Amino acid sequence: MSGRRVLKGSLRPPDNDSAFLLHPHRRALPGRERMRRFRTSEEVDLVIVGAGAGGTVLAQRLARAGWRIVILEAGPFWDPDQDWVSDEAGSWHLYWTQTRIIGGEDPVVMGANNSGRGVGGSMVHYAGYAPRFHPSDFRIHSEDGVGVDWPIAYEELRPHYQLLESELPVAGEHWPWGDPHGYPHAPHPISGAAAHGWRGAMARGIDMRVGPVAIANGQFGNRPHCIYRGFCLQGCKVNAKASPYVTHLPDALEHGVEVRADSMALRVEIGETGRAVGVTYAHGGSLHMQRAAAVAVAGYSIETPRLLLNSTTGRHPHGLGNDQDQLGRYVMVQGAPQVAGRFPETLRMYKAPPPEVSSEAFYETDEARGFARGFSIQTVSPLPIGWAEHVLADGHWGQALREYMRDYNHWSVLGALCELLPCAENRVTLADERDENGTPLARFDYTQCDNDRASIAYAKRVLNEIWDAADAQDVLSIDRYAHLIGGCRMGTSPENSVVDSDHRCWEVPNLFVTDGSALPTQGSANPALTIMALSSRLAERLAVGKISPEGSSAPGG
Amino acid sequence: MAFEGAGHLPNNRDGEPAEPRRLPRQRRGVTPQMHGRYPDHDVLAQSDRWDEPTRSVVMGRLHAPAYRYFQQEQIETLEAFCDAIMAQDEDPRIEVLRYVDHNLSEGRGTGHRYADMPDDGETWRIVARGLDEAAAQVAGCRFAGLDAEARDGVIGRFADGGLRDGAWSELSPAHAWSVVTGAIVTAFYAHPWAWNEIGFGGPGYPRGYMRLGPNQREPWEGAEARELVADFQHDVESDPGMAP
Repeated sequence: MSGRRVLKGSLRPPDNDSAFLLHPHRRALPGRERMRRFRTSEEVDLVIVGAGAGGTVLAQRLARAGWRIVILEAGPFWDPDQDWVSDEAGSWHLYWTQTRIIGGEDPVVMGANNSGRGVGGSMVHYAGYAPRFHPSDFRIHSEDGVGVDWPIAYEELRPHYQLLESELPVAGEHWPWGDPHGYPHAPHPISGAAAHGWRGAMARGIDMRVGPVAIANGQFGNRPHCIYRGFCLQGCKVNAKASPYVTHLPDALEHGVEVRADSMALRVEIGETGRAVGVTYAHGGSLHMQRAAAVAVAGYSIETPRLLLNSTTGRHPHGLGNDQDQLGRYVMVQGAPQVAGRFPETLRMYKAPPPEVSSEAFYETDEARGFARGFSIQTVSPLPIGWAEHVLADGHWGQALREYMRDYNHWSVLGALCELLPCAENRVTLADERDENGTPLARFDYTQCDNDRASIAYAKRVLNEIWDAADAQDVLSIDRYAHLIGGCRMGTSPENSVVDSDHRCWEVPNLFVTDGSALPTQGSANPALTIMALSSRLAERLAVGKISPEGSSAPGG
Repeated sequence: MAFEGAGHLPNNRDGEPAEPRRLPRQRRGVTPQMHGRYPDHDVLAQSDRWDEPTRSVVMGRLHAPAYRYFQQEQIETLEAFCDAIMAQDEDPRIEVLRYVDHNLSEGRGTGHRYADMPDDGETWRIVARGLDEAAAQVAGCRFAGLDAEARDGVIGRFADGGLRDGAWSELSPAHAWSVVTGAIVTAFYAHPWAWNEIGFGGPGYPRGYMRLGPNQREPWEGAEARELVADFQHDVESDPGMAP
């Protein structure tokens, strides 16, 4: 144990050499040039749609088990040195900016905030928070009478959480909430802006901790230390922040995975026996079909349901996994209001990573609050355009907007992530309009329930109380959403879900959904780590034969 | 020191913003209208420290693109609207609408469209028509011909959802407000002149940032204009409403 302490911060994760396969100075992946290529007519063991958190971890694990794998990715294969910039407006190409139609009473704005495009997926531009879900998240119906229980328990994910935390790696203080645990890397130093939030929370009696942030604190393989450049949401040009592009893809390429970028999946093809036989995709202006013995879809909560809804056959007239009208339902977002506080000193919140200090003191249900489930609190640090949106949302334009913008360097921002509950009518459907491939666009309708509104209102009150306790001179608020979850949830039967506890589509035995859309609930945690952990668990079960893509799950599996 | 207090902020002045001309003139580099909280902060003086792709993107913004999407009549109305939203009442100006026009003509989407709204380009055209209709009602002229008070009155009604007739019935006023103002602030605060005004350090790669604590700044970051207390005191004496 003492030897482990000495090595803290530099332990090499088992069975993943990604950090050591990166070039120490160039950001393009060295493995790309000698990447294995498969012919489309060759039946690979697995074709994965989407090179993000879910798809890349699955590929890396199974490639090490000898599977021959092709990943189809709609967006580009990045060379971060050339393609990414330290600039907000110049980073639009990292986001999924193809149109989605948004409706419902509380429409959710899509794009920069919640949808990635390109190899690495949304984690290329996420902030870096990497908390675990709480054990209670897996049984909120039993414990709190809301939402739905998961078909698996927290304990099944724990070893995968631990593994992923060592692979990313995650830096932070010992975590007292949920299942208490430590982190492999020590907490980062925090900025003056974040320190104000922390101080206010302490004065208000609210516990906060530094982290958990998936940014190496120290050299990690060939990944250098963070330089506190602050542009985490524009893609990390340093390779300090974790994304599958640096944490799993290098090892996946080394073990023979092919990533076919700029390839938009249009249909999962079903053969006469009712099994998936491959995926049709558009690349370079023409259609191709990659044959595969099994298919895993990892396109996130909008594109995964869209792809399955568009994959109709005579046997599946409403799409794959939709016999019981479950496909595309129970899509969730987190309520993510932010409140900014103003202070006498200049704080220059654009420095240091936006994620620094957080609290899960309000995560669990407290009946005294008058609603079920809870929220987390995190520091966030908008860059100028993000700050302008915040000021606008508080109702200022003209000279008032300019004045608050000139005051930028005096502000610190806290955000909440409120657990909003799954609702069947919050769903992805197909719009009448079509894209350039002739594929119907996705439409996403979203309406909050009373519990959701109560949670968001309470969280905003707490954020205001923290700034009050910190003696902030002025506050500004914005209502917003963050993250996406659900749409192809896992469950106990085809009547309540799209996939089973092994992520396998109830209706197609060799079709899997391995992204955020499979999660039945979302907790108040940023979802990236849990999406990766679920893929890691699925890969382990597939690799040892506990699930066979040939047929039903092995007994006791 | 002047900006340790928060008396200059609209929420602490019954929503009434302070007159920006009390601020010092920019001494290095350019800010919109040349008033600056950081008179010696010129982010472009650091451009040789940025990585090449970032430099190319940021420097490219110094030349506002030519109009390709909007018609002349729409340009007159929408330029007046953009200038009012960003309180640009004199040169030098960031020509916000040209960047909006560029994104629309490139077909660069944001990732979503409200179900009760046309696409973003059509939204801008309807807003232009709606602003002119509202101006005709209040003053019998086009929007660009309104005086500042009448212009701000029309915009205030737009912001509060109070414009609903005529062209406005073709869209959801609240969603239209978020579409156009979002595009305006994105164009304005993407521009390095605006970074000078607010004291933003700008692109941080490959150099990074080191001085994270309160009241700390990198040696190359310009100081806030706190040393200009004397000027500010003079303003307070002539206008007690400005006191922090």
